[in-house]
Amino acid sequence: MIRYTLTRLALLVLGLLVSSVLIFLTLRVLPGDIAQLIAGTNSTPEQIAAIRDRLGLDQPLLAQYLGWIGGVLRGELGSSLLTGSSVGSELIEKAQVTVPLGVMSLTVALLFSLPFGVLSALRRGRADGTALTVGSQALAAVPVVWAGMMLVVVFAVWLGWLPAQGFPRSGWDDPAAAFRSLLLPALTIGIVEGAMLMRFVRSATMQAIGQDYVRTAAAKGLTRTTALIRHGLPNVGLSVITVLGLQVAGIIVGAVVIEQLFSLPGIGRMLVADVGARDLPKVQGELLVLTGFVLIVGFVVDLVHRAIDPRQREATA
Amino acid sequence: MHRRTALAATALLTAGALLLSACTGGDSSPDPTTTSAPDPDASAVIRLVLEPSNLDIRETAGAALDQILVDNIYQGLVSRTPEQDIVPALAEDWDVSADGLTYTFSIRDDVTFHDGQELTPQDVAWSLTTRKNTPEWRDSARLANVEAITAEGQDVTLTLTEPDSSLLWNLTGRAGIVLKEGDTVDYKTKANGTGPFLLDSWRQGDSITFVRNDGYWGEEARVAEVVFDYIPETQAALNAALAGEVDVVTGFDATLKEQIEATGDFALVLGASTDKGTLAFNQTTGPLADQRVRQAIRQAIDHEAFVEALGAGETLYGPIPPLDPGHEDLSDIAPYDPEAARALLAEAGVEDLTLELTIPSFYPTTIAQILVSDLNEVGITLEVNSVDFPTWLNDVYFAKDYELSFVLHTEARDFENWANPDYYFTYDSLEVQRLYAEALEATDDAEVSDLLAQAARIVSEEAGGDWLYNGASVVAVGAHITGMPSVNVNERLNLAELAKSTG
Repeated sequence: MIRYTLTRLALLVLGLLVSSVLIFLTLRVLPGDIAQLIAGTNSTPEQIAAIRDRLGLDQPLLAQYLGWIGGVLRGELGSSLLTGSSVGSELIEKAQVTVPLGVMSLTVALLFSLPFGVLSALRRGRADGTALTVGSQALAAVPVVWAGMMLVVVFAVWLGWLPAQGFPRSGWDDPAAAFRSLLLPALTIGIVEGAMLMRFVRSATMQAIGQDYVRTAAAKGLTRTTALIRHGLPNVGLSVITVLGLQVAGIIVGAVVIEQLFSLPGIGRMLVADVGARDLPKVQGELLVLTGFVLIVGFVVDLVHRAIDPRQREATA
Repeated sequence: MHRRTALAATALLTAGALLLSACTGGDSSPDPTTTSAPDPDASAVIRLVLEPSNLDIRETAGAALDQILVDNIYQGLVSRTPEQDIVPALAEDWDVSADGLTYTFSIRDDVTFHDGQELTPQDVAWSLTTRKNTPEWRDSARLANVEAITAEGQDVTLTLTEPDSSLLWNLTGRAGIVLKEGDTVDYKTKANGTGPFLLDSWRQGDSITFVRNDGYWGEEARVAEVVFDYIPETQAALNAALAGEVDVVTGFDATLKEQIEATGDFALVLGASTDKGTLAFNQTTGPLADQRVRQAIRQAIDHEAFVEALGAGETLYGPIPPLDPGHEDLSDIAPYDPEAARALLAEAGVEDLTLELTIPSFYPTTIAQILVSDLNEVGITLEVNSVDFPTWLNDVYFAKDYELSFVLHTEARDFENWANPDYYFTYDSLEVQRLYAEALEATDDAEVSDLLAQAARIVSEEAGGDWLYNGASVVAVGAHITGMPSVNVNERLNLAELAKSTG
């Protein structure tokens, strides 16, 4: 297990390094730069050159990259060229919206997908099971934006139960208001992600139903459901954990879209604005943290998967 | 036995629904039926579209900064009314010498900056001089004709090398902003001005809050607080209005008029603006260098269709909108006539023409759609290249690497771009440049307008570009709000009169 962990850790570090290079280069390919945006229309080439020089944009790419990655290794993610604020502090501030949003979305996705996924597998071939399957496929195909708009129209505009957009200016000082403002966005992401997860749970459950150990347990006198719950569900859980890494990436992408739609001051909206302003040092710091997060989740999932699945432990023991 | 699983799932769902319904109430929607006196403690929430990338009024370009910071936070010697008249601000009055070369401003002696420092005539001279001598500062070139700026007593005198009929107007904008000499404020995120509002906070990616300046030299603001809520999405803005979360929605979509007015809480106000939906032709080489081809494109376009699709605005057939000096009706120059357009193309010997339109992605897709179908009608294939704004700026504005471009030019009195052959319009007419230079040197307003009108007519006749429409400022104003400006709000949003009653 230790050797596996170390190998996996080395892969994680390598993955981060490769990502940093990709992020850095991809951003340099974007047309336009921040000096042009600061100077705007009615500006002269001399003005832009002066701003570029001051911001250090005219340095060679390699020097820029090494400067950045050196800072990252010292724990400095960089700072905004526009406001001077550090990427770290901005991320922490915006994470107060995005992290709860992600956790709530994931909760919704799990609460929705686990029971319905198992249920639709158990009721396979019957009207209600088919309805659940078809429903989940329809939901999974729904664009996040559309789902969000429908929820807003019903819960915010018609019923007036929840805010239509925005996040309280007092932040989490008013926990109830902050929670309420994230409910519709989390439902939007959670339902769409959950519908995808549900199909996965369904097929994992169906697979478990057919397994020998479930059949054996049933033959030994357990009801089919009990046999499935005691012996099948841990295996379903294992499969779900495996896709959780992908789900987290999906939720981050969903947050970028949903934060625009609901005008939430989170990491996704900040990222879009920073790309639009070509504030590259800030964007690359943000992207590196997000990528790192997804890679670390994948790393943890792998470890957990290995720790709880006896077959895998034995395979390389 | 499967029923138990179903029951568990149902219970879970029910619990979720209960949780939802428990979270009700809280928001108080405005009551339009009560009209009471303005509440001096009120906080007004205004939806804006475009957030500034930073708050550096000295250097950072963008109407998003001017819109909220000029007049409300920062002031100049003079200001402009929504009707585009020039009025006193930090200067009580001013004198222009008969030869148009000397401007003398008497500076108010009762003005303090937000941090308590006094405004002195020396601050004014320093601000204008620094602006003029710092090329990175926005609009520094607008003071190019100013030779000397001196402070004496309460007076500040500007001496010009040649008359400049646009000087006072320029002083109402960035070029004229007065800062405290040697101020150490971090202009990127903070502010220190002389206006009726103080910058309270900026939550990046969300909102900017102003509070009343209790030490203001003029009449105090009528609300205690203004919150600018940046909501880029039209639908989200509509929802926010319907849910009573904002008091005013600017940059609204006029086609949603019925939806927002149906609540009875809002009225849609359409104001004039200097927004010009400008279709630029890169006329340096290729088929667009031929005036007949450009004219054909203009006549192929049904300009009324844009006004109809946007639900607001007017048609515009020349570079100067009605709010600016020099406007005249030029609709006879390029009337909608696909038949004439086809004839012009044939005369120019152009067949199977394919052109590319570069357009920033934040404009409504209907604009490109109408252009594609209108041009298709006369045999021109239009390929649409939708890009983000920095790309447009890089490719079109700076590199002039484009064929057709669409951008909404919001700036007032920006005819100078047609007299500048280096501008991305690539329009180069010596006659227009001569007329514009004469207009600058003229000292009589009527003469200025006349010269500009002559120049604008030539630009339109030579099809230097096309103007798809003159946009309107579309503002949805809450029933309890008064004093909300409605003219040219994309450029300037002076909130000195804004009041809110809470009944």
